[in-house]
Amino acid sequence: MASSQSFPSGVPRPRPTSFPPNPNPIPPPPPFASASLPDAMQNLQIAGPRGPPPSPSARPGPPPQTIPGRPAVPPQPSLASRPLPPPPPPPLPSPLTTTNGPPEFGPGAPRLPLGPPATPPVPQGAPPFSASLSAGLPMGVPYGAPPTSLHPRGGPPPSSQPFGGLPASSQPYGVPPTGPQLYGSTPSQQFAGLPQPFTAPPATSPPFGPPMWLTQPAGAPLTSGPMQTPPGMLGVPPHTTSQQLPPALPVMNLMPLAGAQVSTPSKIDPNQIPRPMPSSSVVFFETYLGNQVTIPPPATNECIVRDTGNCSPRLMRCTMNQIPCTGDLLSTSSMPLALMIQPLALPHPEEEPIQVVDFGESGPLRCSRCKAYINPFMRFIDQGRQFICNLCGFTNETPRDYYCNLGPDGRRRDVDERAELCRGTVEFVATKEYMVRDPMPAVFFFLIDVSMNAIQTGATAATCSAINQAIVDLPEGPRTMVGVATFDSTIHFYNLKHSSQQPLMLIVPDIQDVYTPLHTDLIVALSECRQHLELLLNSIPSMFEKNAVAESAFGAAIKAACLAMKPTGGKLLVFQSVLPSAGVGSLSSREAEGRTNVSSGDKDVHKLLQPADKTFKTMAIEFAEFQVCVDIFLTTQSFVDIASISVVPRTTGGQVYYYYPFSALSDSGKLYNDLRWNISRPQGFEAVMRVRCSEGLQIQEYSGNFCKRLPTDVDLPGIDSDKTIMVTFKQDDKFQEGAECAFQCALLYTTVYGQRRIRVLNLSFPCTNVLSNLFRSADLDAQFAYLLKQAASGIPTSPLPQVQEQITNTCVNSLHSYRKFCATVSPSGQLILPETLKLLPLYTLDGWRKLLLSCGDFIIFCFHLSSID
Amino acid sequence: MSEFLDLEVQDGVRMAWNVFPGTKQEATSCVIPVAALYTPLKPIPTGSVLPYAPLRCRMCRSILNPFSVVDYANRNWICPFCFQRNHFPQHYYSISEDNLPAELFPQFTTVEYESAPEAAPTTPPVFLFVVDTCMIEEEIGYLKSALSQAVELLPEKSLVGLITFGTYVQVHELGFGQIPKSYVFKGSKEVTKEQLLEQMNFFVRKPMPNVGVIAGPRDGLSAESIARFLLPASECEFILNSVLEELQKDAWPVPADERASRCTSTALSVAACLLGVCVPGSGARIMAFVGGPSTEGPGSIVSKILSEPIRSHKDLDKGSAPFYNKAVKFYEGLSKQLVHQGHVLDLFACALDQVGVAELKVAVEKTGGIVVLAESFGHSVFKDSFRRIFQSNDYDLGLSFNGVFEVNCSKDIKVQGIIGPCASLEKKGPLCSDTIVGQGNTSAWKMCGLDKETSLCLVFEIARKDGPDAIGQPTNNQFYLQFLTYYQHHEGQMRLRATTLSRKWVAGPGCLQDLVSGFDQEAAAAVMARLVSLKMESEADFDPIRWLDRSLIRLCSRFGDYQKDNSSSFSLSPRFSIFPQFMFNLRRSQFVQVFNNSPDETAYFRMILNRENVANSVVMIQPSLISYSFQSGPEPALLDVTAIAADRILLLDSYFTVVLFHGASIAQWRNAGYQNQSGHEAFAHLLQAPRDDADAIMKERFPVPRLVVCDQYGSQARFLLAKLNPSVTYNSDNPPPPGGDIIFTDDVSFQVFLDHLQRLAVQ
Repeated sequence: MASSQSFPSGVPRPRPTSFPPNPNPIPPPPPFASASLPDAMQNLQIAGPRGPPPSPSARPGPPPQTIPGRPAVPPQPSLASRPLPPPPPPPLPSPLTTTNGPPEFGPGAPRLPLGPPATPPVPQGAPPFSASLSAGLPMGVPYGAPPTSLHPRGGPPPSSQPFGGLPASSQPYGVPPTGPQLYGSTPSQQFAGLPQPFTAPPATSPPFGPPMWLTQPAGAPLTSGPMQTPPGMLGVPPHTTSQQLPPALPVMNLMPLAGAQVSTPSKIDPNQIPRPMPSSSVVFFETYLGNQVTIPPPATNECIVRDTGNCSPRLMRCTMNQIPCTGDLLSTSSMPLALMIQPLALPHPEEEPIQVVDFGESGPLRCSRCKAYINPFMRFIDQGRQFICNLCGFTNETPRDYYCNLGPDGRRRDVDERAELCRGTVEFVATKEYMVRDPMPAVFFFLIDVSMNAIQTGATAATCSAINQAIVDLPEGPRTMVGVATFDSTIHFYNLKHSSQQPLMLIVPDIQDVYTPLHTDLIVALSECRQHLELLLNSIPSMFEKNAVAESAFGAAIKAACLAMKPTGGKLLVFQSVLPSAGVGSLSSREAEGRTNVSSGDKDVHKLLQPADKTFKTMAIEFAEFQVCVDIFLTTQSFVDIASISVVPRTTGGQVYYYYPFSALSDSGKLYNDLRWNISRPQGFEAVMRVRCSEGLQIQEYSGNFCKRLPTDVDLPGIDSDKTIMVTFKQDDKFQEGAECAFQCALLYTTVYGQRRIRVLNLSFPCTNVLSNLFRSADLDAQFAYLLKQAASGIPTSPLPQVQEQITNTCVNSLHSYRKFCATVSPSGQLILPETLKLLPLYTLDGWRKLLLSCGDFIIFCFHLSSID
Repeated sequence: MSEFLDLEVQDGVRMAWNVFPGTKQEATSCVIPVAALYTPLKPIPTGSVLPYAPLRCRMCRSILNPFSVVDYANRNWICPFCFQRNHFPQHYYSISEDNLPAELFPQFTTVEYESAPEAAPTTPPVFLFVVDTCMIEEEIGYLKSALSQAVELLPEKSLVGLITFGTYVQVHELGFGQIPKSYVFKGSKEVTKEQLLEQMNFFVRKPMPNVGVIAGPRDGLSAESIARFLLPASECEFILNSVLEELQKDAWPVPADERASRCTSTALSVAACLLGVCVPGSGARIMAFVGGPSTEGPGSIVSKILSEPIRSHKDLDKGSAPFYNKAVKFYEGLSKQLVHQGHVLDLFACALDQVGVAELKVAVEKTGGIVVLAESFGHSVFKDSFRRIFQSNDYDLGLSFNGVFEVNCSKDIKVQGIIGPCASLEKKGPLCSDTIVGQGNTSAWKMCGLDKETSLCLVFEIARKDGPDAIGQPTNNQFYLQFLTYYQHHEGQMRLRATTLSRKWVAGPGCLQDLVSGFDQEAAAAVMARLVSLKMESEADFDPIRWLDRSLIRLCSRFGDYQKDNSSSFSLSPRFSIFPQFMFNLRRSQFVQVFNNSPDETAYFRMILNRENVANSVVMIQPSLISYSFQSGPEPALLDVTAIAADRILLLDSYFTVVLFHGASIAQWRNAGYQNQSGHEAFAHLLQAPRDDADAIMKERFPVPRLVVCDQYGSQARFLLAKLNPSVTYNSDNPPPPGGDIIFTDDVSFQVFLDHLQRLAVQ
């Protein structure tokens, strides 16, 4: 958490973020209003008046006034042009040049792992700027960029809000120098930006600012795509090429806090910018230490987790590691309360495997009231004859055969022998009660597009060869079943029955009202049909070599395939190359329409990101009922309307892979790799997930790729190690200070080997009444994931600027809350960031940018849920 | 009698009345209608085929024939039908009394013309096999071997297609080289031709015309796309055999208390559409092999629930066969489509259960298809019949396609219709009668499929009114009839057969003797059999026994020789003498007595009756019985229970069944093995003789009859006993002679029948 003394020396401290918190545990959490408060955070002093108006240069079009400021330099070129590099701020020269970190960081930001080089620029920055630390930190300010989004609203009011104390709205324009540094892709750009402040007389700034502010909305559209009309978008150099700096400049302008440095360049220390510093060393992490919850290391760090009560953060991670006692407190903090659950996440190879507990006939021990599973936080009382449920507080009788004496410490004597009593994660063997039917076999059905386009682009051949190679990695044994079908304007099934001499092709020509042509033999045990399958996959490309059918009956094909899989369920892997144009669920090429809408500035542009109709949704729900999980591999060179198609994988727990524009040469390997991982990664079928939490909290919403039929359960026809589900909570009752608030996630699923299992994940956190504790225990990664997911789910339904605004607001609000309630004493010119969340602004901006880019290209921002976490 | 046979040999025609009653009134009092049984493709003795186009009357389009009056001097001829004078064309100018074209030879009343080969390119015939797979493996095995045998026998050029069906219909794309490929259609859903065109990718490379697609190469269907499904037999033998080899029982599970889901109607509809798409208008046969009742789709005949029985005659009478009407309606539609396309539906129904022949009858009959009903695909009735279709030898069927049959007649004769395997082309004209029998109200009929045996029964109406002027024309007391049959010969060419007939008519009080002399009682019996069958099917509440009895009584009253009210004085001319016996047996035949037969069997018997010539029809009505004994050589025996004797072998030919009946002693000797001992060659010979005769019958008959070999008092003996006149029954006064037999029945014997007839006729 926040490191108080870090402040003075400033430099070293901020970085440590990358370290697990434990290393510098601060025994006494700084009280709320203590004098040390400022220390607890990174303050940025903003010299308001200094705000130079260099920004003009940034904005190519809008501000005529800029010209007076910098007569010689034409707006755009000036920025891009390198002539200016020489005049870096005197004090900075060496550090800046040496540490290219920041600039690189900018572009690299979206990919968190890419972070800045490991070489810590810290030492360099530190000495010179000790005094100007506050100024140095401003580098952090850019991360505050989000406020820029406020601008579009023309919004002095909102913008000012987070920085309420800030004197002048005009100051923001002072920021520019920092902007380029952050976003510029080369150092030179940085410098290019820097000089400007000098050229511009401070006096001009006031006049400058306002116009900028106001004009942005209008001026912005010039450079970048229509989607980027909102200034906020401009702020993000969309393609990160140096030439596109101009749009980037405004961002700098918008940095309200950085203005100060312009006048005192010496204060700008890029090294001070908080940024993720994943350490290369492996971290050892114990989830529960001496009855204390420990705060998990960042997700980016390689770490080996020892499950000592709470489950591994890889499996389940909360946005905060202490739970507010009241709902008010939660809303005051403006932080989300949510769980990121990745129930089958890959463990670190050196971690202890998850233990499987078999309770025999009776099934796992559960609370008789809320049905929570036995876990380490259930308290045994009355000499062990009873136990109290940690979720609902009910006192249960201990079953006779589970009885055990309590030790002197009040714990059961057998705690350490029983995994379910000492581990946050265990897997119970499910009894018959948990089965509607016998565990299903592992079924993999491949559905391949063989329409003219797919054949000609080589997609079919690439797919067939990828499958042929990948089936080697399918689990061995008689429980692994496979099936293949191809489709163009009709659907072709293959009878792979062992006894026949060769595969038989069966065509379903009716694509309005589909059916399966056979009852059996379409899906056959891999061990029995391997030869037929290989033969078939080898011959499919040649069989359809001269196929002249350009139509694609995608919807009908997946429906038919699902019917074939109906008796078992399983994974349906669809390889699609063109827009579904025939049969059930055919789609129109909305793209053209979309483009005109975009260019005409239509407000409903985002509708393109919504499914065209409900057909696929209805279908998908049906699939989910059959326990069919659909993954779609789009090997396309044209518009395929992912927005509509993706509904199917999203609802069935599947995933979309997008190869655009597909090239048989360069994408084949990738396709194979993706497919191989898809079918060989740890996964389960026919899963149901439920999250329980202590009374006082209530589940607000589940989000992720699943189907929901009951309000309490999440149905996952397929679940694998890469899938994350987010659960948000709202608080409807109070907790006692010091009480524990628990979460339990139970995932009932069938393994590929046909065992029915219940994986139970537990988390238990202390409750607190102290706001700063919340901030101190905040989990940046989870919060950011929350932000992104919220944004992603918002994009199809609301206009982009609004989504951006929301992200920004979420970020700003919590920072504001922190400032307001936890850092009242800090000078008004400082941006104050809680230690745990100091990267939030940066992440927010990056996430933002990613969204923008995606949308600009009409690429749906697909949830690669794992990559977020 | 023999003169009628001679006429039949010459023209393939037999008529109930060879001397026509001259007026309408006269005809009505003759009871038996003026009717002709015509076998259009009966091999003609002259055999020659005229390699040029016929000469037609420019008024009535009838064809120059020996009855035309030719004016050699002026080189013109007078049409006997409309009396129009026609000039001979240039190439007939050399005509003279000594130099006649063949069609004017007096004995050439039946001639066949063959158009020049280049006029119509010969298209090879198409055979589309539609195979049921909802059968036990054993049956499928039999069928597979029958089919692969057939493929070997097929003419090399003929095109072959394959459709299999069960729950779903599979259209096999035999032309796809790499792996066996088939299109699968849902059994419960009808498919239209348009859907088929679209769904089977016939128009992939070029857009389908928006309207008016009949398809076929004419509408731009490429030869390749047709060749995907219909291949020359020589090319597809391998792939067809490999598909047949993989053919297995329909894999969809059938609950124990249900029938298999079998979509016969959908399969046939798909087959019809496929042919309609690929080869409209050229000769093609759908050969359906059905192994059980249809339970799926519009033509289903029974529900899937096993506890619900398949409809019986009783259900049909009571109207409690819920599927029947819908199915018949469907097949009527299908038959229309097939007739329109010119394609034939053949039905091979092989099951112990009913398969829906009764419903399918309309489609098979109107297209002139072949029907074979057997107990199993392994039964010789099916196996041998099926082989016969493709075998080319003396007994080949001479399957021909795309026939059109037309009639011309003198103006006083009108056509009521045809009972037989054909469909009306709805060509209305002055010679159509107002009363309709069978396919009527037309003067042209389509015969999609016809063979050497196919016989039509034409029913005429004498329209000539009684009048003073009517009698005074002795010079012109001839009626003329001309039958024209256009067809695609089984060798491919188009041919036209013209048969022109002339019959004398008589009228007035003195005509009775003439009429009697012209009465062909066998033909009359055949006509009555067809008529009564038709009426039973088409008229509600029709009482066949009563109708037949009344007709017979009226006939006897009119043509018998008797004193009024004196039954003992009654006698019939030899021309009529056996007719009462025919009627007696017809009353007891499977055509009238539907009890004990399923609707399928009845439909089957009637369909065969409706396509057979007089001789075979008579066998169906009144089986022939031959007796073999040491005392005498083979000799015809009375169809009576008294024919049975312990030391006799009887051979009964009832057309559908051939029964070899060994008397009790013969059976004992045979079981003792005397036939194998030397010195008993005569016995061996006695045993062998009826066998050889039975084989001879089976060899030339299609469908091949069922052979029943049985012994006296054995259970199979019922096949014989059922056909015999029950002159000796369990309650007869006179006991059977030793070694004889009795019949357990309350049916009247022929003697009783005849007594009643005499008594009633003289009233």
